[in-house]
Amino acid sequence: MNNAENLSLLGRRMLDRRGFLQNTGLSISGIALASMLASDDSLADEPKTVSSKIPIRPQIDPKNPYSPRKSHFEMPAKQVLVIYCPGAVSHVDTFDYKPTLTKLHGQKPPIIPAVTFEGPPGNIAKPFWDFKPRGETGKMVSDLLPNLANQVDDFCFFHALTTDTSAHPQGENFMNTGFTMEGFPSFGAWTTYALGTEDQELPAFVAINDPRGLARSGKNNFGNGFLPAAFQGTDFNAKNPPHNLNRPRELSAQADRSTVDLLKLLNAQHLTKYPGDADLAGRIASYELAGKMQKSIPNVMDLTGETKSTIKAYGVEGGSKLRSEYAKNCILSRRLLEKGVRVVQLFNGSDPSGGNGITNWDSHANIAKTHAMQAEIMDQPTAALIADLKQRGLLDHTLVVWATEFGRMPFLQGNGTGRDHNPGAFTCFLTGAGVKQGFSYGESDEFGFKALVNPTTVYDFNATLLHLMGLDHERLTFYHNGLERRLTNVHGHVIEDVLA
Amino acid sequence: MSISFHFYLPRHNRKTIVGLLIPAFFVLALCHQSYAEGIDFDRDIAPLLKEHCWDCHSGKDPDSKLNLDRRVGALRGGDYGQPAIVPGKPEKSFMIDVINHRDPELKMPPDEKKLPQKTIALLTRWVKEGADWPGQMKDVVEKKSGHWSFQPVTRPEVPFISGKKNLNPIDAFLLRKLHDKKLGYSKPADARSQIRRVSFVLTGLAPTPEATEAFIKSYANEPDVAYEKLVKRLLDSPHFGERWAQHWLDVIRWAETNGSESNMYRKNAWIYRDYVIRSFNEDKSYDQFLFEQIAGDTVGAGEAIGYLVAGPHVPVATVGQEPSARRQARADRMDEILQTVGASAMGMTIGCARCHNHKFDPISIRDYYAMSAVFQDIEFGSRFPELAEDHPRRVRGQELYRLIDKHRKILSETGPWEENWTGYRELHFPSVTTQSVRISFQSAYARIDELEIFGPLERDENLALASMGTKVDSPEEMKVPRSGLHKINDGEYGTEAWAGKSSKGSKEKPWVQFTFKKLHKINRIKISTNRLENMQTDYLTGMNRFSFGPYKVEVLDDDGQWNQVASIGQIKKLDHKHKSRIATLKKLNELVEQLSEEGPRPSFVAQLIRPVKSHVFYRGSPETPRDEVFAAGLAELNGKLPLKPDASGKERRVAFAKWLTSPDHPLTARVEANRLWHHIFGKGIVTTTSDFGAAGALPSHPELLDWLAAEFKTPSINQSERKQQSWSMKYLIRLMVTSQAFRQSSFPRIECLAEDADSVLLWRFPTRRMAAEVIRDSILQSSGSLDASIGGRSFRIHNVKKRYAQWFVTDNYGPHTWRRMIYQERMRRVDDQMFTAFDFPDCGQIRPKRPISTTPLQALNLMNSEFVIDQSKRIADLANQDSNGDQSAAVKRCFELLLARKPNEGELKSSLNLAQVHSLDIVCRAIINSNEFAFLP
Repeated sequence: MNNAENLSLLGRRMLDRRGFLQNTGLSISGIALASMLASDDSLADEPKTVSSKIPIRPQIDPKNPYSPRKSHFEMPAKQVLVIYCPGAVSHVDTFDYKPTLTKLHGQKPPIIPAVTFEGPPGNIAKPFWDFKPRGETGKMVSDLLPNLANQVDDFCFFHALTTDTSAHPQGENFMNTGFTMEGFPSFGAWTTYALGTEDQELPAFVAINDPRGLARSGKNNFGNGFLPAAFQGTDFNAKNPPHNLNRPRELSAQADRSTVDLLKLLNAQHLTKYPGDADLAGRIASYELAGKMQKSIPNVMDLTGETKSTIKAYGVEGGSKLRSEYAKNCILSRRLLEKGVRVVQLFNGSDPSGGNGITNWDSHANIAKTHAMQAEIMDQPTAALIADLKQRGLLDHTLVVWATEFGRMPFLQGNGTGRDHNPGAFTCFLTGAGVKQGFSYGESDEFGFKALVNPTTVYDFNATLLHLMGLDHERLTFYHNGLERRLTNVHGHVIEDVLA
Repeated sequence: MSISFHFYLPRHNRKTIVGLLIPAFFVLALCHQSYAEGIDFDRDIAPLLKEHCWDCHSGKDPDSKLNLDRRVGALRGGDYGQPAIVPGKPEKSFMIDVINHRDPELKMPPDEKKLPQKTIALLTRWVKEGADWPGQMKDVVEKKSGHWSFQPVTRPEVPFISGKKNLNPIDAFLLRKLHDKKLGYSKPADARSQIRRVSFVLTGLAPTPEATEAFIKSYANEPDVAYEKLVKRLLDSPHFGERWAQHWLDVIRWAETNGSESNMYRKNAWIYRDYVIRSFNEDKSYDQFLFEQIAGDTVGAGEAIGYLVAGPHVPVATVGQEPSARRQARADRMDEILQTVGASAMGMTIGCARCHNHKFDPISIRDYYAMSAVFQDIEFGSRFPELAEDHPRRVRGQELYRLIDKHRKILSETGPWEENWTGYRELHFPSVTTQSVRISFQSAYARIDELEIFGPLERDENLALASMGTKVDSPEEMKVPRSGLHKINDGEYGTEAWAGKSSKGSKEKPWVQFTFKKLHKINRIKISTNRLENMQTDYLTGMNRFSFGPYKVEVLDDDGQWNQVASIGQIKKLDHKHKSRIATLKKLNELVEQLSEEGPRPSFVAQLIRPVKSHVFYRGSPETPRDEVFAAGLAELNGKLPLKPDASGKERRVAFAKWLTSPDHPLTARVEANRLWHHIFGKGIVTTTSDFGAAGALPSHPELLDWLAAEFKTPSINQSERKQQSWSMKYLIRLMVTSQAFRQSSFPRIECLAEDADSVLLWRFPTRRMAAEVIRDSILQSSGSLDASIGGRSFRIHNVKKRYAQWFVTDNYGPHTWRRMIYQERMRRVDDQMFTAFDFPDCGQIRPKRPISTTPLQALNLMNSEFVIDQSKRIADLANQDSNGDQSAAVKRCFELLLARKPNEGELKSSLNLAQVHSLDIVCRAIINSNEFAFLP
């Protein structure tokens, strides 16, 4: 990953000023740094970011791309948990209370688009579940999510989110990679690229996929895009370890160790011809890390040491099989965060190959049933996870993000039993480190149809997440194909109002 | 009077340029001047501009690069690409738009209330009356940039290096720069390293132990002769094309799936991949290579334009029903095309000018949409590729058709028969002359997307088409809602279909009747439910089903009687009677299968559609079309094309391809010469291989780059008797790999590290980790498993999936996968659970070069995957076979097979011990994981 322009297009100007060059020796890291500076002559001398802010380029040690790196500025959050609900959770049936819908139930909507994602709209539909005031803040939340509802005093809602697309895969791409198109790095990849990770025995970024499979954008949601492959999310869950983690069955532990010993010998001899070569040393180090992961991942996946009360609180037992599996994934999330993993992305839903609305939150028909099924899986374990993080003090330095790609319409689809996609307004929430508690930012209109007060783009949302991680979204960049690329493209404003 | 004008450029490149052009609107402005009475610029307008505009839009570095303190600045406009004023036309003047707050997101002046109506009216009138600006009325916009890569390629003189004769010019340029820094080349690499290095770079495969041994011997006698012979052999090897095609496919992010929601497989898209491999192997001249990929349909290389649809796309079916979303999706698809062309052929980030003028390069938003007009006839989809008479697929297709006809003749002797063409059925019957044909179904339900009728005279003319004047009838009471009868003969395949259904309680079954305009001789029909799916995709569950049962065909005779000419029931009876028919038909259907693999078949290499008008989309949104634009290349590079405004899509692409491949084009040769260099030395002379603009890197050796570009276009060195052809990639590659720079040792030298740690000046050959494909293919070659056949359908490692499901790996190591990795089905954003971890691209964004990263996932995959465990065993087996039970010999053989060298004493001792205690397999496993195996020597 020593592409000269990636390491030094602009950062070198700052380095120059700080006089790093004079201090550079020829140790391994010295060579790495020297290589960062070597191409001064060959690069254009103007900052090439659209915002004209100078990028802060993470100084990545080729020997260990995961070594912890400083954030741009000090913020409480050091780790982040993203709970992603693919399929589009209906905001008007969960967290965005709209009494007007009840009042006008069954009537033609006064503001009516000719056609939405799947076709012509039907009549206004009141929320499929009753809303009640919750907690001390009295926040109105529906009965669909009774457990999360109990914790609203800790949450910070975004009610006026808008997105650029009403198709799921593009929507997932947008939320998770900042672009509707294919091939951009995910939020988790950006974060680990910037910050590395504290724990050096587990992957820096873990993507815990739904037991039913990947979401519609598949690997995009946790992929590295054009960032080096080192920063992709490692894909495993409570049930299945990463591919090829374990030594093959046909090999004894002794044979495995012997392989490693011979490998060390071969590599050590080879290295003598290339003294101080950081790339070779880095590859040797990666085998050591892999060896550690072979122990640390099974350990972190092993839930047998969890107390009965934890198992109960998370809802591992007593619910559907899917809830049980998701609950285990929630416990795994907590265990990973405890170990210091930088980014955990937890999915609650997959692609719709099992049938419409059954494998994720997409509820074009029979929303009463399909949303209820999803909620049964998601609500209790997620609420328990957040409560557990709080109780263990992890929320002091962990940001929690609960997100989905868009909302659902205030009226029925056709005149059926479901709601179509609504890119004009939807709800996500944050909690944990650095976030204002018991707070709601922005409002949708009286129908929940369009964002009305403080409309918030996905760019703003992602800019805010990076800010909460101590990263300036305009300065966290990577040169790719002519541009200093950012998670937020050329947009986005940090929403200061939600900062604690 | 003329005026100096600053175009935005990096400061060191800014030049003062004298304007020459006189735009038409300027002439117009002059005509209006006399009406400007009443408005005095200095008294009425200048104070307004000063008060409201000049704080931001004046001086050296104005906001949005809009200069309103000069008339030319206003005429040119800023980043949005709209002229701020068009004299005489306030309705086209962006400044008037923004002060009127027409776009709620762009109100000027910002953070202030709207200007008083009186002020707006005055400015509008001023523009309307010609925007009189005393003293500046003759100033005009001049656009030429001073950026290095836009200047013509000139051939620099090859430096003289004292004491060196017959120096490869590449070395002359490199040595001069090294000498300037008091550095020099390293000593030549040893023979073994040279053969390994050049074999990996040219073919992506390790040399066999035997070839290595032979080379080392002949190298000892005559090093240069031996090396040049080796290079020639490697360049002539068909594996050369396989390696270099991969590099090209990376840049354009070619893959065999759409990406996006259902990430569907693109049927026969691989014929484009084979075209690229063939082109490299045949050493097709680069200008021709580019021409064919842009307009190959006009010269019998129709599959080559698969290039244009290499990127991902969102199919209409998953965009949703909103018309604006559909327009946006089409604009996104056009953008993918422009990114492909820009990044691969031009080294320009064209996509940056989609919403506003390019921030760094002289590419205007108008350029972007003019370029999109070039490709307006391209859509992501399938068609029968146009193939020249001698095209291998066409030749093969004719052979197969001859065989098919032979079998048809045999069948015709006993009566009608029905062929299975997977996507449709083709029924043959004896020729009969009629004006009306009726197809009656025996099932209560029938769904047909298209029914075609053919005769023996005009073999390919579908007589059933509505456009031929043919009428269709069917019983009204059996009509299924939303399934118009016209869909059965509208020439459109796919989900838009006719369906008929028996009425409740009625025994009458659906039928369709076709009535021609006149009598026709007919002898076959083609019938299908959804033929499009078969043309476009594959590996989906539930594909190619037919929603109709057995049927019969009747024709109307002169007496008004319906006579049956064929029926499925009748065919069954005939088969029963003449047993040999079944075998003949089976063979025939196999030939049809073969034809779809080897002949010209519908392939996902672009669909051609009728071009629509092209407009500049203000802020990149198709909802805000502005001025109409016509097909052109970049204005900065004399991109005006000799085309009429209504030129056909083909004419546009031909003209554009000619512009791009003209010898005068400053980018084309430079970009490709640099790309070849990048793949050989690991880093381009311009390290940003697909960005030769102002945001890209400057060349480390500008003169060398220009010399290479010039030599690429007009070769000057006679390497053989024959005249060297222009634009030969093999020629340029040979020059590079026969240089001393390439052949020198890769070992570090402490004194050089201090001066040039990154080896930019090439004081050594810079080593690097090899790509995923090279590692994998070399393992297969070591075990003797590699199937070296070239081209054809990709081997599969994934499932057959449901429409909205994900692809997942089912078997990535079995014998069917033992082909070169370029033939592994290339799925967008799917982890192959093996080599994706080695920076194998996800094919979402263009990838001019791969990052080379190190992750523990690579280690786990290479230590524990079924592929490596299985291959280790095979290599060990091979070594054991070769050494007749001598364990020490077997260990040595493993080192030879994998590293083309013998183990040293320490290695031998440890390995032998390991082999005795455990097995030879794990010795191979260790070597496969070693740095020596993974890094270029």
